[in-house]
Amino acid sequence: MIGLLLATLTQSLTLIPLALGINLSYTLLRATDMTIDGSFVLGAGVFAQLSTMGISPFIAFLVALTCGALAGTFTAFLQNGGKVDPLLAGILTSFILYSVNMAIMGRPNINLLNTPTLFSTAFAHSTTLGWFSVALAVGLIVVAFYTLLQSRFGLCLRAFGDNPALLSRQGYNVTYLRVAGFSLNNLLAAASGAITAQIIGYADIGMGVGMTLVGIGAIVLGQHLILPLVKKQYLRAGSELLAAFIGITLYFFILNGLLRLNINPIYLKLLLGVLLALFLRTATQKASLP
Amino acid sequence: MMMPLLHFENLTLRHPSLERPILHHIEYTVQQGDCVVVLGANGSGKSSLLKLLDGRYKTNEGKIILKNKNILSLSTQERAGCIHTLTQNAQDNLFLNLTLFENYQLIQNKHKADEIDSLADYLRAFNPNLATKLNVLVARLSGGEQQAFALALAVLYPPEILLLDEHTSALDPKTAEHLMALTAHIIHERQITALLTTHNVNHALAYGDRILALKEGLVHDRIERNDKQNLTAEMLMARCY
Repeated sequence: MIGLLLATLTQSLTLIPLALGINLSYTLLRATDMTIDGSFVLGAGVFAQLSTMGISPFIAFLVALTCGALAGTFTAFLQNGGKVDPLLAGILTSFILYSVNMAIMGRPNINLLNTPTLFSTAFAHSTTLGWFSVALAVGLIVVAFYTLLQSRFGLCLRAFGDNPALLSRQGYNVTYLRVAGFSLNNLLAAASGAITAQIIGYADIGMGVGMTLVGIGAIVLGQHLILPLVKKQYLRAGSELLAAFIGITLYFFILNGLLRLNINPIYLKLLLGVLLALFLRTATQKASLP
Repeated sequence: MMMPLLHFENLTLRHPSLERPILHHIEYTVQQGDCVVVLGANGSGKSSLLKLLDGRYKTNEGKIILKNKNILSLSTQERAGCIHTLTQNAQDNLFLNLTLFENYQLIQNKHKADEIDSLADYLRAFNPNLATKLNVLVARLSGGEQQAFALALAVLYPPEILLLDEHTSALDPKTAEHLMALTAHIIHERQITALLTTHNVNHALAYGDRILALKEGLVHDRIERNDKQNLTAEMLMARCY
């Protein structure tokens, strides 16, 4: 049981930035941004390629984040300039990113086992120190994200998600806010991709498939469990972050539990898909109650 | 001496699917500080006129001159500093999933103004219940509270022109009457120029300085301040509808 919990916590840890990014797009901006499937791999691929070229892991990580943000900017550009529906814009960017990621990586899989990463020194010292350093990096991202959400800029992003037409009539530049919002959530997805690649020891072209769906399902589950307990509005932003964390942890707990039950891996996505559908259905039913 | 603030010059609005223009050669001048009531049947072009003003509708035919500048060439955002619109739909006026305080912060932030001393005291004058609900989501307010709050925000930093597009029509009669009286009191007290659309001829007579009647997109009648005093509701109805 302890092994199951540890595996769940460590897997969840690397995907917390992704969950925050999906929380931003799905809950705050009210958009299902499918770009995340591609920008997750983009973050991992850029980091892996640059690291194996001998570039400092810190710089490789920053470049990976920037590339994720650029992918989000492109999706926002398709919506702003191209007038493409937000969902289709995300799918289109993700589709394009498959080629871009292949071009960047040069091959479907890049091994990082013998390459210095942000956490390799800490892990070489001890596993505990390694995970502590991962937790620290993720913690810094969470704190930065939370601080941003509490700022006036964060308020504008939430107002954009609530009513972009009114925000525009109040004189705010909604084009800029759309770019900022989509860039930020894809930056977070790329951060998760880059961290995951360092932990699992490789970047793979297929590692982002279904990430958006998993993230949304996990967030809906987390919010379903946490938000009814929160009555004070000023606790809302913090509770949404907590819901994202609990949702993603529960998802991995169930995934690891199924694996330990020796479920045939062929049926794993089928079972998880049914489970996600149930989460989403329950949440929709709850939301439609008077 | 009242000064002209706003002038509609040969203003026309067309829609590709409609044979008749929605608005046709509108010529009208609004004086500074006036409350002009725009009357007319459904489809007469009242709301379209207001939407052209705040930028929700676009046209290339004619001009809307505000302080010597044709605002039709300005974007919605550029008009935001001088025009504020209230409609009957709360989601057109407020961010329903933000708190009252957050809605206030967005307006205050855009006007780059200092925070007012006590938002609660300011809101109490519009509706006593609002003062205790600063951290409540706007969606949880009643319809009357939402419209009172929207009015409070609209006049917090008074715009050049306040557009009131049937802003009381979704409320029960008593609340609507109260909000209309409050609106009239505030716009007269603060000398705010306003364009008000309504179907209530009693409101038009009681609260409007002048009346503009539209029919099928054309200016059908203009009733000046002095003429209005001799009119009854029935006479106004006969003239405008």
